[in-house]
Amino acid sequence: MFELVLQAVFSGVLVGSVYALVALGLAVAFGAMRIINLAHGELVLLAAYMAYVVEGRFGLNPWAAIPLALVVVVSLSWVIFKAVDRIREHRELNSLILTFAVGIVLTNAILLIFASDVRSTSSPTLQDAISIGDLFAMKGEIVAFCVSLVLMGALWWWLKKSWYGRAVRAVSSNREAAGLMGIDPARIETTAFLIAGALAAFAGVALYTMSVVQPAVGHTFTVKAFIVTVLAGVGSIPGVFLGALLLGVTEALTVTLASSALQELAGMVLFLLVLFFLPNGLFGARARRG
Amino acid sequence: MSAKPASFRPTMPETIAGVALLLVAVAPIVFDVGNYALGLLVSSLVLAGLGLSWALLGNLGGMVSFGHAAFFGVGAYASALVSARLGLPVVVAVPLGGLVASLSAITMLPTLRLSGPYFALAILAYAQIFRILATEAASITGGAGGLQRYPSLPTILGLDLSSRTGSYLLVLSVVAVFAGVYVAIRRSHVGIALRAIAESEVATRVVGVDSLRLKAWMLLLSAFMAGVFGALNAHVIGFLEPDYAFGGSWSMMPIIAAVFGGYRTVLGPICGAVAIYLFDQLVAKSLIPVGHEILLGVVLAVMVLIAPNGIAGFVGGLLDRPKGGRPHVAT
Repeated sequence: MFELVLQAVFSGVLVGSVYALVALGLAVAFGAMRIINLAHGELVLLAAYMAYVVEGRFGLNPWAAIPLALVVVVSLSWVIFKAVDRIREHRELNSLILTFAVGIVLTNAILLIFASDVRSTSSPTLQDAISIGDLFAMKGEIVAFCVSLVLMGALWWWLKKSWYGRAVRAVSSNREAAGLMGIDPARIETTAFLIAGALAAFAGVALYTMSVVQPAVGHTFTVKAFIVTVLAGVGSIPGVFLGALLLGVTEALTVTLASSALQELAGMVLFLLVLFFLPNGLFGARARRG
Repeated sequence: MSAKPASFRPTMPETIAGVALLLVAVAPIVFDVGNYALGLLVSSLVLAGLGLSWALLGNLGGMVSFGHAAFFGVGAYASALVSARLGLPVVVAVPLGGLVASLSAITMLPTLRLSGPYFALAILAYAQIFRILATEAASITGGAGGLQRYPSLPTILGLDLSSRTGSYLLVLSVVAVFAGVYVAIRRSHVGIALRAIAESEVATRVVGVDSLRLKAWMLLLSAFMAGVFGALNAHVIGFLEPDYAFGGSWSMMPIIAAVFGGYRTVLGPICGAVAIYLFDQLVAKSLIPVGHEILLGVVLAVMVLIAPNGIAGFVGGLLDRPKGGRPHVAT
């Protein structure tokens, strides 16, 4: 029993690291533009299907799909940004509806092109089991975990140290003032959306290598990302990382101790509990109340 | 309560529109369009009611809901279960379904403290919970296998409501009643306060309006309406399963219907629902059998970008436009 729990925690941490990538993409775009991209999960899903194409059509390792996924998803993210940027009236509300519509279009486009079957990697290299002590993992999971850690570190460095990163944070905290300091907010917002797209591309390929995808799951990724941001509170990458691990571990434990049908429910319950009792998230200090 | 008593007297154009709409509404019965067409119209009116409840929350409450399927499904299951298990008459069960949907919305109230986009995401997450619960609580709901032995609509005053004509008239009347309630609220001092909240929530709070409570009431009312239409739909079709009753399309369709028709008006969501539903069933489905929602998504995206106030706003803008001037743009 104890081994099972330990194994569940371990698997949860591995998958949670990828949830962190999805959540960071959502958060970066939101931070710069105060706009939640409801199609973010579908962008992740699209990247996963790019990996499926590269593996299925060309027989390559799914990770070889990264350039393709980056090009497709980042340009799509840019298109979404351009569309959202056109909205003038009731920006917050209409941008939600617009990105929701983009999500519907993407989900059904994926359904039309790739059919509704469940897809996952068939690469023996990635599916190979390796053991660390008593714990087991697929090689794909370990690779995804390492990629997530590296990307998160890079993003943290970029936001904290680089000029661009500082500009993103400046625009995020006060758009007008940042503009007066010689930062072009529009350019920063574009950058943030491109970064969000890049994170979605990596997250999608990672999810394809360690899990299964089908057209309907796009918006569950968005929901998971949102739960993570609620858990984390706003504004800290380590917070998002811990929140994502917590979600991954909770889901894995639910599957091990109860049933896989309750997996989604566990995340929701966690989310509601935090919302009721810790409205600023587990790690966040900044108020999110309206 | 020093506010001016609400006036319910409709203006002239509204009277004309109302009479015209009534004539259009009874036309399918008078000209006997047949059972298939009437069935389509009943479904489109269910969607119209759901769209109206969504628009009420969006327009009066200033909240976008991506989870109305939760209220719709809860209403459907509650009504079907109390009429089947407790033997309550359907006439009682349907409003009870609405009440239970309202109750389910109470657990959502903490999310009202969240600012706009966070509320939208919270309700998106929330809608999932009920589908899973309905699937897992198989001993009560019949689980994934579904629920089919529950009473259909009764016969009242000689009119068999379970017939196509009866269902049509019933759903139509309920839509009309809720539209009336919507208009009454919008014109009351509550409606004025809600409009003020939409302009500036902080300023409204400062003058002593409990904005959170008003928004909460709008959420509960919207959930009630959605639940009632879920219940009506359940008794019309006579079969429920979690993936259907809580299906994402019950969250998606009212948004498209309301935005297409114009969610800041009362008639917009109703007419939008009929148009969108018929387009989906008769055009989109025959063009693309699987994945036909892609066309609806395109319609929604185009509407938000080109005419965010819907067909109603577009037409209204054309009428209001002063000669040679620019159309009035709300800020």
